[in-house]
Amino acid sequence: MIEVRDLVYEYPTKRALEGVSLSMPAQTIVALVGPNGAGKTTLLRCLAALEPPYSGTVTIDGLDTREHPREIHARLGYLPDFYGLYDELTVRRCLTYAAWSHGLAVEAVDAAVTKAAGRVGLSDRMDTKAGELSRGLRQRLGIGQAIVHEPKVLLLDEPAAGLDPQARRDLSTLLTSLRDAGMTLVVSSHILAELEDYCSEMIIIENGRIVGGRPIKVKDVERPRYVIEIATARADFAQFLKDAGVDVVEVDEHHALITFTRNAATRAKLLRDLVTAGFEVSSFGESSKALEETYFSQIGKGAA
Amino acid sequence: MGPEFRRNLWLELTPRRVVFMVGFLALVFFASAVSGPSYTPYSAAETIYYLIVVIWGARNAGLSIVGEIRDHTWDLQRLSSIGAGEMTWGKLFGSTIYNWFGGAICLAVMLVYGFTHGTAVSAIFDLVYYVIVGLVAQASALLASLVAIRRRSAHSRLDVFLYQLVGIVAALGVFYMWQAADPASALLFGKKSTDIINWWGAVISARPFLLISLVLFTAWILTGCYREMRRELKMRNGPLVWLGFLVFIGLYVAGFDAWLPHDDAMVQWNTVALRLALAASAYGVLTYVMVLLEPKDRVLYRWYGSQIASGAVGRALWSLQAWIMSYVATVIVAIALIWWLFAQHAGAWYPALTVAGLGFLTRDVAIFVFFAATRRRGDFAAIVALIALYVLIPAILDGVGVKAALPFLYPTPSNPIWVGPVIVWGEAIVAVVAAVSRVALDEKRAA
Repeated sequence: MIEVRDLVYEYPTKRALEGVSLSMPAQTIVALVGPNGAGKTTLLRCLAALEPPYSGTVTIDGLDTREHPREIHARLGYLPDFYGLYDELTVRRCLTYAAWSHGLAVEAVDAAVTKAAGRVGLSDRMDTKAGELSRGLRQRLGIGQAIVHEPKVLLLDEPAAGLDPQARRDLSTLLTSLRDAGMTLVVSSHILAELEDYCSEMIIIENGRIVGGRPIKVKDVERPRYVIEIATARADFAQFLKDAGVDVVEVDEHHALITFTRNAATRAKLLRDLVTAGFEVSSFGESSKALEETYFSQIGKGAA
Repeated sequence: MGPEFRRNLWLELTPRRVVFMVGFLALVFFASAVSGPSYTPYSAAETIYYLIVVIWGARNAGLSIVGEIRDHTWDLQRLSSIGAGEMTWGKLFGSTIYNWFGGAICLAVMLVYGFTHGTAVSAIFDLVYYVIVGLVAQASALLASLVAIRRRSAHSRLDVFLYQLVGIVAALGVFYMWQAADPASALLFGKKSTDIINWWGAVISARPFLLISLVLFTAWILTGCYREMRRELKMRNGPLVWLGFLVFIGLYVAGFDAWLPHDDAMVQWNTVALRLALAASAYGVLTYVMVLLEPKDRVLYRWYGSQIASGAVGRALWSLQAWIMSYVATVIVAIALIWWLFAQHAGAWYPALTVAGLGFLTRDVAIFVFFAATRRRGDFAAIVALIALYVLIPAILDGVGVKAALPFLYPTPSNPIWVGPVIVWGEAIVAVVAAVSRVALDEKRAA
């Protein structure tokens, strides 16, 4: 869905992106992470065909951003980090304007507005002015405007900034549902724990380059990461896991980080085998920090 | 009706505001009708029209995009499917719809007065003039804001005021042009107005000529808005429209040769040379204006270099900035002028002066590019440098009696006659090399 080849972008006094190449398949949620000033927002703006590359190519849904920016805009939804709303317009009018401006047929506008409002949970506030909404609801309206035309690609720059835990959870659920509905999402954020909930791949940008040179798979939906802890250290812990056919990421005498099938029965069997073998299992659960661990293991290593 | 225009209708033309405008204007006209003959509803309508449509309208037009940028909604609009035309007209007429609503009421009053107190033709001429003066003010303010947003990211109230000022100054230009052709007026800087105009050797009635000229220039301003909007929406503008404008302005200006003073020096010139000189001067002025207005984008210049180096010359030419095209047009017409002067055996004085003028132009645009590549406020530094070169240093040299060096600083004859142009072109080459080096040097640093 998104292909970037040798992308170079320059500001007058700085090269912001240097030889970025990546590929994002359709119907995925990719996290874009990196330190401040690394080039995340510039990359998003290049993907949105708002900034033309100095060299290299960016193609969205097979269209080159330099050659077909307007066609790409029609396929995109974009929520910038600093976005605005028309405070004097009601939620209904904000969404209606977004639908009109994305070229929806007149007869399709009302249905699109209703659907977008429902998706972002604003159906009961259609006649409230945007300026009267809370920050979390404004965020939802911003996303509602970005998805009202059912874009193929949705780019979100720091969508969870300033949201309370409940609003973040709602955002996570919304983004997952949008992916399931067929959209490809790229989410830039500093909040790694929040990205963990819905991102399957991570692109780390540092000094305008992709660390490792390619997206890093941080979450396999079918084979997530699990952490196993045992109360008493056992030197044969690693060997046992290996013999059991488990993919071990990291292991010592107390802990193991593994990738394993999501199938409950198979997991139950592994747990039963561990207990039967005398391992005092004190914890067996899905890793909640895979993305963070990967990030900190990669950052600072330099870029490919 | 485009989405942007409809959104503006929602925001600008609310029932409360409509009622307020109608009530306010009714009160003004009633007051003027009962206050005596010195202040009629016509004069009240004219004054209110200028206030609402020209002054306030220019502000709203200048704010229409800057306000979106300040409110962080501009990216949302740029990423929409709204076409450049729809967006331009939606901004221009949508943001000023309330002004035009009040203005339309004023125009109706003036039209009724015009029909009852003058001829129908005069009333219609006036109607067209008032619409144009409003349109020019608003479109100029919008164009100024569109040009400015390419150059900076912050937009203060002062910036908006400056865009509004551009609109008001443009409207004043229209006002004075119109007054110049009004037999009842003597307003043009204290000079007598005229009812005929000599253009390309033809004697033309002034009012229709000026009206057509105003319509054409308004069309060019609107075209400018449309093309800048295309650029904002990331659509590529080819060079053809600007080249078309250059042809238009060259032909338009060249027709005014009869207006030049025919003193002894001018006797040596013939009509063709005068017209070429006028066109070259117009292109030279446009080069200065555009090199000042357009961002001297080092990344773009490096891109030109990389495209030309890779053989994609056509791609680079298709993206040329307006100042480069204007400069090339100046050079072409100036060379034609020099050739014509030699062919007419007009002597070496005028050709040498023309060559020196081209050298100064080349040096000056290179100075603009050099400073833009060197510092953030490069244009300001370039203007200061040019003031020093054209005013301060000549004044000092003149004061200490080194007048022989003056031809190296501004276009004036030298002795021997070709020494001045040679030195000036030496300066130009140094400036060009410095500018190109600066652009290329930064490329190495960035890489």
